Amino acid sequence: MEHDMQDFTAEVRRFLDAHVAKAPDRTAFTWGEGDDSMAYFSSLPPEEEREHVQRARDWQRIRHENGFGWITGPPEYGGRGLTPVHDLLYDAIESEYDVADTGTLSVIGLGMIGPTILAHAQPRIKDRWLPAMYRGDAIACQLFSEPGAGSDLASVATKAVRDGEDWVLNGQKVWTSVAQHSQIGLALTRTNPDAPKHRGITAFLVPMDAPGVEVRPLRQMTGGADFNEVFLTDVRVPEDHRLGEIDGGWTVALTTLMNERATVGSEGAGPVAAALSPDRLSALMRATWTWDDRALRARLAELLVDAMATEHLNTRALRTLRAGVTPGPERSVAKLMYGQNLTRAAHFVADCLGPRLVADTGKWGTYAWSELLLATPALRILGGTEEIMKNILAERVLGLPKEARA
Amino acid sequence: MSADDSELRELRSSVRQFLEARSPEEAVRKLMESEPRFDLDVWAQAADQLRLPSLVIPEEYGGDGFGPVELGVVLEEMGRALLCSPFFSTVVLAAQALLASGDKGACARHLPGIAAGRTTAALAVAEDGGSWDPALISARAVPDGDGGWRLNGRKSFVIDGTTADLVLVVARTVAGPSLFAVERTSAGVAAEAMETLDATRAMARLTFDTVPAALVGADGAGGRVMARVLDIATVGLAAEQAGGARRCLEMSADYARTRHQFGRPIGSFQAVKHKCADMLVQVELAEAASREAARSAAEGTPDFPVAAAVAHACCSRAYMFAAMENIQVHGGIGFTWEHPAHLYFRRAKSSQLLFGGPAVYHERLLDRLGI
Ligand SMILES: Cc1cc2nc3c(=O)[nH]c(=O)nc-3n(C[C@H](O)[C@H](O)[C@H](O)COP(=O)(O)OP(=O)(O)OC[C@H]3O[C@@H](n4cnc5c(N)ncnc54)[C@H](O)[C@@H]3O)c2cc1C
Repeated sequence: MEHDMQDFTAEVRRFLDAHVAKAPDRTAFTWGEGDDSMAYFSSLPPEEEREHVQRARDWQRIRHENGFGWITGPPEYGGRGLTPVHDLLYDAIESEYDVADTGTLSVIGLGMIGPTILAHAQPRIKDRWLPAMYRGDAIACQLFSEPGAGSDLASVATKAVRDGEDWVLNGQKVWTSVAQHSQIGLALTRTNPDAPKHRGITAFLVPMDAPGVEVRPLRQMTGGADFNEVFLTDVRVPEDHRLGEIDGGWTVALTTLMNERATVGSEGAGPVAAALSPDRLSALMRATWTWDDRALRARLAELLVDAMATEHLNTRALRTLRAGVTPGPERSVAKLMYGQNLTRAAHFVADCLGPRLVADTGKWGTYAWSELLLATPALRILGGTEEIMKNILAERVLGLPKEARA
Repeated sequence: MSADDSELRELRSSVRQFLEARSPEEAVRKLMESEPRFDLDVWAQAADQLRLPSLVIPEEYGGDGFGPVELGVVLEEMGRALLCSPFFSTVVLAAQALLASGDKGACARHLPGIAAGRTTAALAVAEDGGSWDPALISARAVPDGDGGWRLNGRKSFVIDGTTADLVLVVARTVAGPSLFAVERTSAGVAAEAMETLDATRAMARLTFDTVPAALVGADGAGGRVMARVLDIATVGLAAEQAGGARRCLEMSADYARTRHQFGRPIGSFQAVKHKCADMLVQVELAEAASREAARSAAEGTPDFPVAAAVAHACCSRAYMFAAMENIQVHGGIGFTWEHPAHLYFRRAKSSQLLFGGPAVYHERLLDRLGI
């Protein structure tokens, strides 16, 4: 294993060295230098956004052509057949390089929908979509939430009715991230209104260019529009696009949700790392003359304690993964802390900056933080709210009685 | 030497079994009102059967040579059981101070007795202000002209100070804070028990009146030695705190599953459920922080001082939180003397403040990060 890892590392480095430049050393940080963007969500104008997505696709294709597009995937679908540890190792090494940000493809599509298709789709669909997704040709979105079904996901109302060899879908989805860039969406629909709500759901893979699919951007509080409303009006989906059993869609959804919780909460790069970096925060304190404010210092210490303890938690989860044990529902702790740590960091920074966060003076490293501040409420909601995470912890880890559910 | 995962599990389960048998709640309650505040038989058994005092003493001094990870496992279990014993004072504070001093002669003189469970020891640093900052120390030592020293001053908050055979004292010399070894029974030493918030951890005030003392390590090296000891001791304490916090969480979850009000188990009420989830979050963070710090100490990685400071702050907060919420989840019964919840509350608060409290440990963390 050790030997194999050394070979793999060398191979990864050879590939990256041949294709991309090294990223500037992020640990050597100097106040006032480099990019000060703290954007968690993109707020690019549509034209630039499209270019951004194209760069992501291009990089994914290059990865794929070189055997790093789907490190854990089965070879028959273009995967590499290696372990999650190889995958993590690849990510760690890649983060040292200046590569395109592939979040649009990877977080939801490759991170959540891909594994769900692999586990539940019919063979023709796997052949059709898995290689395309991991090659960067197809982006996937998660059509789960509805106006009436958020935390209570099992109450989805979008209807699917059998009509010959097809199913006909009608309904409305909401908060759908990256739908505007997607070629396919994984939708939960109601197929049996008479069954208990968890038992009357069926999952479908919906081609986003099918007639009757309409994506309308939803502007979010950061100003950008990363998520959307998706209207489904008499959308015909072939029978072989069904995932899992008829009325057995909840099982399919659980696969996606499990992967969602595993992805969110272990992010360590970009604005996230910056917001929790002792170097950057202490430089900020100097720059704002708050260096010896005792109350702020105590808050900074608490903030760093939480951030570092969360990091330890992630390190330990990785170590169990390496030992072949899949981390369980206690991973919700990391997801929960992730949202809270960034929220606390943003408010700490705001209290150092004071009026300089209220209006933009053009000074480096000041107003830029407003982008992170405005993103933080989402981090306590997406992928399951804090309240839902706590229910999961209490019921599945501590074995407390289930809530009374309608 | 270091144990693999299955050996650690075995160590944990044998310590837990031992403590369940020898330090059940009734025993803790009896001991916390007696003098000495530990059971000599249990201490002897811990040494003979489980070799606990020798666990982390290096082999060259008669110990078993294990490291901080194994120590952490033992301390988690001791914290969970609220064991009344001189383990923390002897093994975590005094023995580590001897080792940190680098004084091979002093180690060879004292550590074999500690490893065998024959000698108990205490570390006397803080004075009436309670601070562990060597700069704030006023006890003094002067050369006696025969190569020895004479010690004068007063130390407070000395854990197991009335029962320890050996007392290591930080006192000021012309060269600065320095470490000294004193026999507690020497003429001129007066030891008086202090009333404590947490009765399971005995503390004393020691007065030294021209007491003969032996310098340990270099004259003036006390500051450096104390910094190292504090890192190790806070990681040890963190393990104890994580163990106590885990126990509080288990008590709460058990109770929430079984106690009924309004015709349902209280754990089905979300206010209670979320309290328990919040406790779990704190406990998971505490375990991660203390175990990673121990690991970092064992591997000697350069970020150990940061990891130690994180563990200290994180586990202090987690334990206090879990101990408070545990009482809340239990309602009125949790506030009774008969219920063990207050024992954990007392231990949690006094542990949180032991080395100075939040204001001090926050600054220590920032200092380690260069902030
Ligand atoms: C940025 C962003 C991106 C998203 N992307 C996607 C996506 O790509 N695809 C997708 O399908 N969805 C997506 N979502 C939707 C997300 O999953 C839901 O917003 C989330 O699950 C919460 O549902 P809701 O918004 O309907 O809130 P509600 O469920 O209406 O909740 C409102 C409040 O009530 C609380 N609450 C609800 N039920 C309970 C309960 N049982 N116990 C205690 N409190 C409760 C909640 O915690 C919350 O505080 C996204 C959301 C955001 C913010």
